Amino acid sequence: MTTTLEHKAPVIKHEGGGLARHQNFLTAMIGGVAGAFIAWAISHHLLDGNVRTTGDAVAVLTGLGWIVGFWFGIGALNAPFAWLIGKDQNRQDQLYYAGEDQGTKRYWKYCTDHKVVGVQYIVMTMVLLGAGGILAMAIRTELIVPGNHFVNQQVYNGFIAVHGMLMILALIVAVAGPWGNFVVPIMCGAKDMAFPRLNALSLWTLVGAAGLLLTTLAVGSLTMGWVVLAPITDQAGVGMDFFALSILVFTVSTTVAGVNTICTVFTMRTKGMTLERLPIMVWGAIIAAALGLYAFPYFSLVEALQILDRTASTSFFVGTGGGTGWLQANLFWLMGHPEVYVILIPAVAALFEIAAVMARKPVFSYRTAVAGMTGLAGLSILVWAHHMFTTGWAPTLGGPFMVTTELISIPTGLFFLVLIGTLWRGNIWMKLPTVWMFGFIANFIIAGITGIYLSDIPIDNQLHGTMFVTAHFHYVFVGSVLFGAIAALAFWYPKVTGRFLDEKLGRISFWLSFIGVQVTFLAMFVSGLRGMPRRYSSYSFIFEHTNFISTMGAYMIMAGMLVLGGAVIYCWNHGEPSGSNPWHANSLEWLVSTPPPLENFDVLPVITEDPYNFEKEMVLS
Amino acid sequence: MPKSMSQTMHLSILTMVVFSVSAAPVAAGVYAATLYIMRNWAHKGEGVPAAAPAVRESAKTVITWTLTSVILTVFLLIWGLGALAVDSSGASSNPLVVNVTGQQWVWSFQYAGPNGTKVESNDLYLPEGREVVFHVTSLDVTHGFWVPQMGVQIDANEGTFTEIHTTPNKLGTFDVRCTQFCGLNHAYMVTQGHVLTPSAFTTWLNAQPARS
Repeated sequence: MTTTLEHKAPVIKHEGGGLARHQNFLTAMIGGVAGAFIAWAISHHLLDGNVRTTGDAVAVLTGLGWIVGFWFGIGALNAPFAWLIGKDQNRQDQLYYAGEDQGTKRYWKYCTDHKVVGVQYIVMTMVLLGAGGILAMAIRTELIVPGNHFVNQQVYNGFIAVHGMLMILALIVAVAGPWGNFVVPIMCGAKDMAFPRLNALSLWTLVGAAGLLLTTLAVGSLTMGWVVLAPITDQAGVGMDFFALSILVFTVSTTVAGVNTICTVFTMRTKGMTLERLPIMVWGAIIAAALGLYAFPYFSLVEALQILDRTASTSFFVGTGGGTGWLQANLFWLMGHPEVYVILIPAVAALFEIAAVMARKPVFSYRTAVAGMTGLAGLSILVWAHHMFTTGWAPTLGGPFMVTTELISIPTGLFFLVLIGTLWRGNIWMKLPTVWMFGFIANFIIAGITGIYLSDIPIDNQLHGTMFVTAHFHYVFVGSVLFGAIAALAFWYPKVTGRFLDEKLGRISFWLSFIGVQVTFLAMFVSGLRGMPRRYSSYSFIFEHTNFISTMGAYMIMAGMLVLGGAVIYCWNHGEPSGSNPWHANSLEWLVSTPPPLENFDVLPVITEDPYNFEKEMVLS
Repeated sequence: MPKSMSQTMHLSILTMVVFSVSAAPVAAGVYAATLYIMRNWAHKGEGVPAAAPAVRESAKTVITWTLTSVILTVFLLIWGLGALAVDSSGASSNPLVVNVTGQQWVWSFQYAGPNGTKVESNDLYLPEGREVVFHVTSLDVTHGFWVPQMGVQIDANEGTFTEIHTTPNKLGTFDVRCTQFCGLNHAYMVTQGHVLTPSAFTTWLNAQPARS
């Protein structure tokens, strides 16, 4: 990025920052590796090598060493330590941490500016999607014909687990990370997040966790699907320990980010920004954050107990010691289903925002939109056992969980009402974000309807554990969430870079991806209906045609994503200049300059109405 | 779809048809509305589109939409709960009990043979027209016992038995596949099943070597 920050008021140059002047991503990596090595050396030396659990304990401690070393190296612990010894940060230090006058270097640092964190999340999301995408292509390539040809089964089984987990992590942050950080504070009229340092902590903790997750591929042994449930975990090697620890660390990141988002919205809104005048995107961000705060502790718990089972011979999930795998499955899905809506809700809220701006109309029935998202979040905590219909656990609860699950279609239906209602009789600007939004609508209806099939136990007894389920949730995550995330990217990209995401390349990418999704996953529905189970490394000849078609479709999606990725990188410096308010919108993020200055506003604005009156164009006075 | 070979599967397919018929108008409506929007209200020409007339609320629309989705959902729920009740109604007085055991990466099936003996088979043999109750367990990790032609699926867990039942109603062969990821050869954990006439089944059972 070549643009520089501009300041109205001259700031006296000062040597703020202290140690942080020497810290960046490189020192973080060095710190992480050093930390891992020290932890490994000590634990390897001190723990009794004859005990069964020692290998796992050493692995977990090594992973912890990596995370702590990474935190030290990036500078996450500077401020707390300085505070401990009585040296609080002064204004110059804070400005240094916010990345003042550091140009593009600040993107590699522990930067507290929420806009820098937003950009870091964009990059992080793309890295995770890229890594997960490469694995997806490897999986589809292996499945192009029956038999094992391309990778061996052990490696393949590792790919499906890591592909799943990487994509889940990527999508959890895909909208809430970039835009929850970059635009939400400005939308509220805040100068930054409530806790800027925690904001940087959440990002860099995610980076550390992702590093740990990727190492599981190198050390192998994570061969049990992304859900990673006992008792098969017992057969896994140290990759399993890294995996469990990386998820535990990841939940630290989401918790910190969630608290930060909620506190920002509830305490930092500018004068006149009542809850009903908030852009609808902000509601999506806080509802998802609140749901995450409910759900992710279960994830922490699952992984913490799992680590204890492996390293300290406890038996929470081990049948022979009095535990049960069903306990783990319950805890996991108590997190696992709400998590789907932690992923979905920010994307939907972003689309409400985009629909309103592009149709030049207010969000249709704002309160219904809020109620729909809240209702969905509320219901989602009561449906977890539909993932366990066929496990044999508590058959008598099948009926009740079927009821709660099918009720989900009511708030989901409200999303369609709000979107279609907003677009109805609009004056719709058919730009790139709009195109991806229409793609979302087309895919989300398929995702939703196939979900109703699976919520029904007599059908689920047939389709559970088959490719039908895989196709269903890929319509949710790829067809819906990813399309929503790309719409959001195309919409706010000009605010970040001052340039448009290329319309032509974006549309080429759209058509490749849109057709690719239909080809891949409609064929996958057929594979499932015909009786092909999930997580197969090879299959019978009767599934040959549909798998070949799915693989061809997957290559189309890959082509689409490569075009999009190329466009994102190319347009960053070479795209068509957009000005500061290309969509002529009225929410605050469009009224500040592009890129927004450090601390966003010289004078905090006073809000008198919601941002959806397109009759007049607002300016900051 | 695999050919239906049991009452359970028949009901499962019927339920899918009912759900498809109920859902199709909804999907068609959303697609029609979306295409209509794109056709009629896409802004033509260059430049920023003017503001459209603001409609912030329409109580009538919201209530109609919500009521419609509630009615549809309740209908699907009543149908689904009814089908579930049929599926899970108690076993008949004289079911055939088959113990199903999964282990990495084979299935085995145990029957009560003649004169209190036990019979074990690697293929699953079932008589036509008689209810069969599967008692499913595992010797190691969790497996998923699934007969695609009969619409029955239940996990095999170590140290406990799960139960599912169905009534085969067609002669022929069928598949048994594992639906829970169970390690290296998960994809190869398949076996064959055969539905025989009751007399052929008895003949087969009596011809098996008894195991203690």
